[in-house]
Amino acid sequence: MQKVLRVQAALGQATREYLDGQGFTELLPPIIGPVADPGTRGAKQATIDFYGREYKVMSSAILYKQMMAASLGKVYFFSPNVRLEPLETAGTGRHLVEFVQVDVEEAGATCEDAMARAEGLVDFVTESARRRLGDELSAFNRRLNGGVRPYRRMSYDEALKILADLGREVPYGVEIPWDHEEFLSKQFHEPFFIYDYPRGSRGFYDREHPARPGILKDFDLLYPDGFGEAISGAEREYEYGKVVARLRETGENPAKYGWYLDMLREGIPSSSGFGIGVERLTRYVCGLSAVWEARPYPKVAGVYSP
Amino acid sequence: MTEPFSKLFMKVASVRSAAAAGRTFLESYPVDEIIQKAKHGREALYPFSDLDEYGRALLGADIGVKQATRFATLDQIVLLPPIFTPRRLEKLTELQREPFFSDVDLETSIGGLRSRLPITMASMGSTEVAHAASPQLGRGAAEAGIPMGLGENIATVWGYAKRTKASMPSFKQRLFAYLDHLKGPHGGVVVQQSVEDAFDELWNKIYTDPDVEPYIRKGLVAFEVKLGQGAKPGLGGETKVARDVARSLKGKYYFPDDPDLSDQELYERHSAPGTFTEPILRAQLRSLRNNFPRARIWIKTGPFRDLLALLRVAQQERIDAVLIDGKEGGTGMSPVIALKDLGLPTLACLKRVADARVEGIGTPFVLSGRLFDGGHVVKALALGATACSFGRPFIIAVGVGGAKGILNFLEATEVEIRMLVSALGKYRAVEVGREDVGSLDRSLADALNIPFVYA
Repeated sequence: MQKVLRVQAALGQATREYLDGQGFTELLPPIIGPVADPGTRGAKQATIDFYGREYKVMSSAILYKQMMAASLGKVYFFSPNVRLEPLETAGTGRHLVEFVQVDVEEAGATCEDAMARAEGLVDFVTESARRRLGDELSAFNRRLNGGVRPYRRMSYDEALKILADLGREVPYGVEIPWDHEEFLSKQFHEPFFIYDYPRGSRGFYDREHPARPGILKDFDLLYPDGFGEAISGAEREYEYGKVVARLRETGENPAKYGWYLDMLREGIPSSSGFGIGVERLTRYVCGLSAVWEARPYPKVAGVYSP
Repeated sequence: MTEPFSKLFMKVASVRSAAAAGRTFLESYPVDEIIQKAKHGREALYPFSDLDEYGRALLGADIGVKQATRFATLDQIVLLPPIFTPRRLEKLTELQREPFFSDVDLETSIGGLRSRLPITMASMGSTEVAHAASPQLGRGAAEAGIPMGLGENIATVWGYAKRTKASMPSFKQRLFAYLDHLKGPHGGVVVQQSVEDAFDELWNKIYTDPDVEPYIRKGLVAFEVKLGQGAKPGLGGETKVARDVARSLKGKYYFPDDPDLSDQELYERHSAPGTFTEPILRAQLRSLRNNFPRARIWIKTGPFRDLLALLRVAQQERIDAVLIDGKEGGTGMSPVIALKDLGLPTLACLKRVADARVEGIGTPFVLSGRLFDGGHVVKALALGATACSFGRPFIIAVGVGGAKGILNFLEATEVEIRMLVSALGKYRAVEVGREDVGSLDRSLADALNIPFVYA
């Protein structure tokens, strides 16, 4: 465990080194606010009593980072998130109720830019792990493949086809279920991208292709060898009218997102970004069997623990 | 008029209008028939009374209707039993004896939920008439082995797990009044979420609740996207709540009278109808599948003119079931003008269902809207419905005899359905089809593409 935490600290350092070197500004992450990301598969948000009114604990700070990128250009933060995940996630080895993700956002960037940035980050961090953490990693018996850039890119449709050819049908329009995602990840030995998810499978803030309605300008980066999802990213919807219509996908009253919509109405620039889970990165680099091994005092769905 | 006088006059007038409204309901709804079924079960199926008991009575079809209706209803459709019944021969061969109506198989799969009968208990919401009786309603539906709906705003108004009012059950108590009484593989619960419930993430709460988890695992939980209601298509939910409740809900709902500023006994509470376009609905349905992969996804819709377009979306998005509520559908509170002027009659909705079937749309459809007996069920099945949903009959039955009243009512209705289906020479409810119905009205016959019985 000590070794894992030391590797984790070094990975954090490498992440900062890479992003700072690319001209990003590290900001302090918001923890609570009137709304959080509603686009998290089945998880419930944690609510706190804020002087008689409700606040949510960030399930992701996506809405805040979009606003901060509008002001500062290139931003990131190490964002602690809480997602009260469905109990079925307790056994995936990839879900924690409390975790940290590095939230990255860049004004003016396209989805392709964000993919290149995500690839650059993972490459830099795994490369530096190999270089600097050789001893620790050999203690885990871990040979880290890294990967040759550019990473393989497959569309959502192609991913579904690969799965179908291997006897695993996924109906069009939904995220790839966790067990299928793990299975797909096992078919590859280097990190790879899935892009062009269909509308409805991701959050309302992922931008719809202007020329291809129903397709989102977004992506996942998956670790190979069954480690699964590393990064989710996208170009953002930033035009008020489009966001309001997309918000209805959550079934909520857009009034709930008042402060966010007010900012969009004023006008903000386009942006793209992604989030990379720190515990999942640690798990992948160390070759751990479950993500709860990559965090002190882990919280797994439904398990009451210190 | 002096002021006290005018107040008294208004009071008397309002009481008289309330009595008149009650009388209208008694006259236009078969309250007595339902009460008899809730009290006596299948004994109530024969129209004997103290005056004409068995052996002395001479009975025949009533050729009148209680009143002239403004629009066509299922009462203009009759069932057409044949003399020659090859399916009865099949059943006879299988059983090695003449079949009886008791041999009819009524088990129905409705949107992934197994039901003992082609009937569900309609979603009732937070209104007190349904909420106060909900423990008995839930128990009755569970013991009868039929799925039950849970309407909007229950959790928001009465609390998810903690009661907002000591005398009223919470959402979860209402849910478990049903789940705790399930026996065997039948049943399932269909939960709606209003825009305001979504604010509190009701579905996420249910989906992550360890107490509900075993039922989710068994596939007994469905989430229902509500696109409208028969009695008020295009309008949101309306109800009245006490001042303390109103105060806690201000900000989430629309209150014409501010509960902080005015002092009233009850406050009108409106919820929003919700805004949809086809792409919004599709994306919402997909997010539901995505977020709650182990829940079944249902849609409840009101009697809208673009029903057929919705049914196509439901088919394409592989929705588990669509419930369609006709304009005669029940309501705890709806504006008179909406009841009168908004929406397609139940039979017109059924016509859209029939059209969808002709197009090859196989999605399970549940019909509701002033349906209250076995005849309604069989006619709806014949025209393409998978099942029917009853609301008001259960409220009356529960008032008569609690959960037992519901079981009695369903026992009577079950026997009615068995008799009618077997009379058609069929022994499975799903086999009833268009050939089994005819219309008493020529234009209706043409519209539904069924025989005009006098032709």
